[in-house]
Amino acid sequence: MSILTVEHISKSFGEFKAIDDVSFEINQGDIVGFLGKNGAGKTTLMRMITSFLTASSGRIFIDGDDITKHSLRIREKIGYLPETPPLYPTMTVFQYLKFSAEIKGVPSKKQAVKITKVLEECDLEHVKLKSISMLSKGYKQRVGIAQAIIHEPKLLILDEPTSGLDPIQIQQVLALINNQREQRTVLMSTHTLPEIEKIAQRILMIRSGKLVLDESLETLLNCRPQPLSLEQIFFDYHQNKAPSHNASCYS
Amino acid sequence: MNKIFALTKKELHSYFSSPIAYIILIATLSLFNILFFMIVDQNREVSLRDVFQVMEFMFIFIIPLLTMKLLSEEKANGTMEFLLTSPLTPSMIVLGKYLSMLIFYSLLIGLTSVYYFIVEYFGEPDPYSILSGYIGIWLEGALFIAIGLLTSSWTRNQIIAAMTSYLILFFLYFSITFTKYFTGFAENFLIQVSTRTHLENFATGIITTSDVIYYLTGILLCLVLTRVSIDHRLWQ
Repeated sequence: MSILTVEHISKSFGEFKAIDDVSFEINQGDIVGFLGKNGAGKTTLMRMITSFLTASSGRIFIDGDDITKHSLRIREKIGYLPETPPLYPTMTVFQYLKFSAEIKGVPSKKQAVKITKVLEECDLEHVKLKSISMLSKGYKQRVGIAQAIIHEPKLLILDEPTSGLDPIQIQQVLALINNQREQRTVLMSTHTLPEIEKIAQRILMIRSGKLVLDESLETLLNCRPQPLSLEQIFFDYHQNKAPSHNASCYS
Repeated sequence: MNKIFALTKKELHSYFSSPIAYIILIATLSLFNILFFMIVDQNREVSLRDVFQVMEFMFIFIIPLLTMKLLSEEKANGTMEFLLTSPLTPSMIVLGKYLSMLIFYSLLIGLTSVYYFIVEYFGEPDPYSILSGYIGIWLEGALFIAIGLLTSSWTRNQIIAAMTSYLILFFLYFSITFTKYFTGFAENFLIQVSTRTHLENFATGIITTSDVIYYLTGILLCLVLTRVSIDHRLWQ
């Protein structure tokens, strides 16, 4: 069943067309890697899905509801981590998660249980009373993910969650995302290609605002006589070597 | 409602976890205390009328310092995206922020209520005119805060937000001084738009419907415009 449907979405900023007639569907339970160079339009598209930006044309449905008509209800179903984790440095981790739970409509009786659960899930228990300003980048990223999942959303949207992290922190964050697989659908943009290969089922690739690839990872990696890495496929698509949109095999 | 209070609580926490709130409280109260004693000593009367008028002038400078970060800081830190992608309406964000500053301001004003007891020690002040003065200064501060919130919604730069507030507040305060250059509608407009016209009545113990409507309309207009500004992401 489709949790996210994007239909002919376009977004222009003045003369500049940031997103150009993009359509795709994401099924429940998938982890989808959203790839593209910097400035390709990944963040713009994610911001439209989260209803932070409005589309110039086209429609987006989440769990069957049009986001322009049921924006508030839909935002309860989405967990979103922007590229820079949206944190308040003067708060402690616990205070921040409590505030997140409150504004995301978690009933007050359930807040303590949910906070305990995400603290455990994101391995933040030992820093829960620390001020956010004192945390390392890896911890801050995990706090960002914790706020995104505290209200148990159906769809988790992560904008470059591994950006700027060291290899160990990348492993930890990806393991955390991988653990979400059974509970929610994940759409994440990333430049960490070898790592996304390990957890994603599907790849979307965007170039200059257009969707140039929408394929299952399995099909992609096995489309040549000899297996290709996602990194190689990424370079091929961005150097115009791949023949056409949605080609599952190319020579 | 819970979401609005959560935002209010967060905002107050952010103020009181930095030295800014304490510095502004102490500096403002110290300044008011000095001016209060100077005015009472000079006038030799058991009234706070002139004190309210001095407070009004001082709040033009103080309130933009309090309000400049309300929304601009959220935008500069990227947390505005967090708020706007959470299940919150722009009206909830506006009310949560506004309420927090109103509570802080009420605390500040509340701490000056000791002035009544001081003048009462020396004579028999009219408690109703002092109460009316406090209602007036509270409404005026509430209007200034709404203006500060609005300018803070236009930009991610706190300095620009404060400067724009100063411009609007200076216009509202000083407009009455330019009436001699105008006649007819323009003159009447400058008198009616000036905060000094309306606070003067409160400070002398007169509460009129038109003065109350002036403040409430101004507050409501600013809050609605702030909501529109957030809705349309005007700072982008």
